[in-house]
Formats: sequence, structure tokens, C-alpha cells
Amino acid sequence: MADAKDLMARYCDGDASAFRELYALLAPRLYGYLLKMARQRALADDLLQHTFMKVHRARTAYIRGADPVPWIYSIAHRTFLDETRKVKRAIVRVGDADELPELKADLRGETDDRRDDPADPELMQAALAALAALPEQQRQAVVLTKLEGKSVAEAAEIAGTTVGAMKVRAHRGYEVLRKLLGGKAAKGPTDTRTSRAGGTR
Amino acid sequence: MSEPLDELAALPPPAPPPIGGALEAELSHLEPAAMRRPLRQLAVLVGASLVYGAGLVFVLTTRQDLRELPIGWLAGVALGWLFGFLVPSYVALMPRPGAVTPRWQLAAIAAVVASVGFVSLGLAVHPAGPSSSSYGVERFGHGHTCLELGLATALVPVVIGAIFLRGALPIGSRWIAAALGAGGGCLGGLVLHLYCHIADGLHVGLIHGGVVVVAALLSAAIVPRTTNVR
Repeated sequence: MADAKDLMARYCDGDASAFRELYALLAPRLYGYLLKMARQRALADDLLQHTFMKVHRARTAYIRGADPVPWIYSIAHRTFLDETRKVKRAIVRVGDADELPELKADLRGETDDRRDDPADPELMQAALAALAALPEQQRQAVVLTKLEGKSVAEAAEIAGTTVGAMKVRAHRGYEVLRKLLGGKAAKGPTDTRTSRAGGTR
Repeated sequence: MSEPLDELAALPPPAPPPIGGALEAELSHLEPAAMRRPLRQLAVLVGASLVYGAGLVFVLTTRQDLRELPIGWLAGVALGWLFGFLVPSYVALMPRPGAVTPRWQLAAIAAVVASVGFVSLGLAVHPAGPSSSSYGVERFGHGHTCLELGLATALVPVVIGAIFLRGALPIGSRWIAAALGAGGGCLGGLVLHLYCHIADGLHVGLIHGGVVVVAALLSAAIVPRTTNVR
């Protein structure tokens, strides 16, 4: 399968099928990221569409041979910030039991009974609730470094902040998670590339 | 698995929605798009700006005390201004290899160092010859024409940079714009260095150096409207 660089270059050269391949390659990761950030399926759907529309409009800014993934993640996060501020939609808060199960199903893209190795529902629920309780910047830091498998440097590049600030945000996020989860979670971003199944590239 | 976050991290990516109608419509008439070529853009920006700056000096004529001043200082400061123009322009346009977005942290450093550096340098070192003039504190306001001339010079590289980076920056656009402005301000400072014979420290530091600060601030305030991804 072609990588994101090749697909982006072919897409910029006018190959619409390359865009579809790029979408198939990146949309699941971006959708998962946006779901974890926005915590609402409809909002995440909109954000994903807006993100790729912005990528389409900004494609002349792409540099041949460059990795488009951090750039597209940055656009996704910028879109999340802009859209959530613009529409001022109510974000589901911690403990909203009506929303979290749907989010859980969205995050995995399948239901518990379809998995060979079903996750502990209580742990999952606790993790989602704790994640939802984090301030936006800390949530982004934890999602990127722990759940999306990005290095601290990559996460900082995506967030538009420094490596030091990203480490602080992630550390504080883990501290809050540790308290909320009663010490069951959050070892910290010591090895940020090992946690995600399948990797990110 | 005991780690709740590991449980979440191990989940397969969710199924995203299909490509939306608006995007499908765009794809139906997709045309090849010229990709950004940062080195070429930098060459165009630098070349056009230097030609413009040289043209201004030619039209305005060089300072009347030019031959009375230490040649080492004249050349050294001119090189400093030129360096101050090139470095921020470089970091504002050139990403690190393999990246799409320029390095906004370096742009921030370049903008701040250029702004502080040239104000301080002008306040500290400002030799004068018999034909030099001085405004001092009393007539400090008379220096506004130099500020305007410097900003007019800065306009060209800032506009060119903004055009090259339009719709390209999801992050760090203010600092990158500030670096563009600081670079343009340094080109303005270079023109003033060769044109203006007012040699008191307040004028050279706060007006000539101030061009860098004001250009950086104005650019940071205005240019992101163009360069942000929309």
C-alpha cells in the first residue's frame, strides 16, 4: 500500500483516486482522534469532513516528499478548536452515562461481542470518563502520546507547542488520570510509540 | 490487560463516515495543483525584496555623511541588517526537511532576537560625522518619516511571504508572520542605514530599530488572516 507522502503527491498532481486512498488511510485515525477530543459522534463526523475539505483547499501548501500526517493532524486539531468554539456546542461531561457507551462503540468501531478479546467494560468506562474530565490541552496530550502512539515531539508539532510544554501537559494529564482511576492508569509518556496497536504511520 | 488507557489504545481505529458530498463534488473536477517549493519561494522573496530595496536607495540617494563614517562600521552594520533580513525570512518559509509547516519556534526566536537586537544595537552604537544630523529627544518625533519609509520597504517581503504561505499554516502562524515582518523590517533598516544621516542614538535605535518591532507586530496581527488554513 502506498504511503501518505506518495498519495498526497499523486493527489496534488490531480489523481482523485489517490485522495480516496489517502482518506482510507488516514480518516480512521483522524476520526478516532476527533472522537476522543470532541466526544460526540455527529460533531466528530463534521470535523472530519471539514478537516479533509481544508486539506483539499490547502493542498497547494504541501511540499513534495514531506510527511503530510502531522500537518493534517494539525489541521484536524485546529478545526476542532475553531468549530467547537464557533458553534459552542455542549460537550458531554464526565459521568454522562448516556453518551459514553456510544463513544466507546465509536472508538473501537465494533461492539464488545464482536471482539475475540473483549476489553474490560468497567475499565473502558472508567478510562473514557477520566479522559473526558481532562482539560482540552491535557486531553490532547494524553490522546496523542498514549492513544495515538505519537512521540512527544510529533505531538508538540501537531499541537503547535514546544516539546517541553507537551511533556508538561501530558504529565499533568497522567497525574489527573491517576487520581481519577485510582492508580490503575497512567504510567506516563515514557515510551509513547509502543501503546497503539498497529502504529500510526 | 490492567491499564485502562492501554485498553483504549489497543482498540482498532473506528470506521469513519464516507467522504462527504461537498468534497466528492470537488474531487469530480480535480485539477493538478502546484505544490509549494520553499527554496524557490525564498529566492523569489529575497531577490525581489533586495531589488526593491536597492531601487529605493537609488531613488532616495545615499546618506550625505556616508564617506565620513568608519567603513568597518558601515559595512558591518549593513551586513547585520542583511543577515537580519535573510534569517527570519528563511525560517518563516523553510520547514525542516520532511515537514510541511515552517518551524514557528525558530521563527519566534528570529523575530524576537531581530527586534531586540537592532533596537539595542542602534541605541548603543551610532557613530556620526561632520555632516551627520541629530534630532535628540526634542525633535524625536521628526523621525516618523524614517519609520514610514522602513515600513514601506518591509511591505514587499511581507506581502510576498504572505502570498506564498496563504492557507498553509494550521499552527504557529502569528510567529511565522512576525518573523516575516521582522525580516522585512530589517530590510527597511538596511535602506535607512544607507539613506538616513540622522545619527543620534534615540533615532537610530528607536526609529530604525523600531521599524523591525513595528513591522513584526503589524505582520503578526494582519498576515495570519491570509496564512491560516481555512
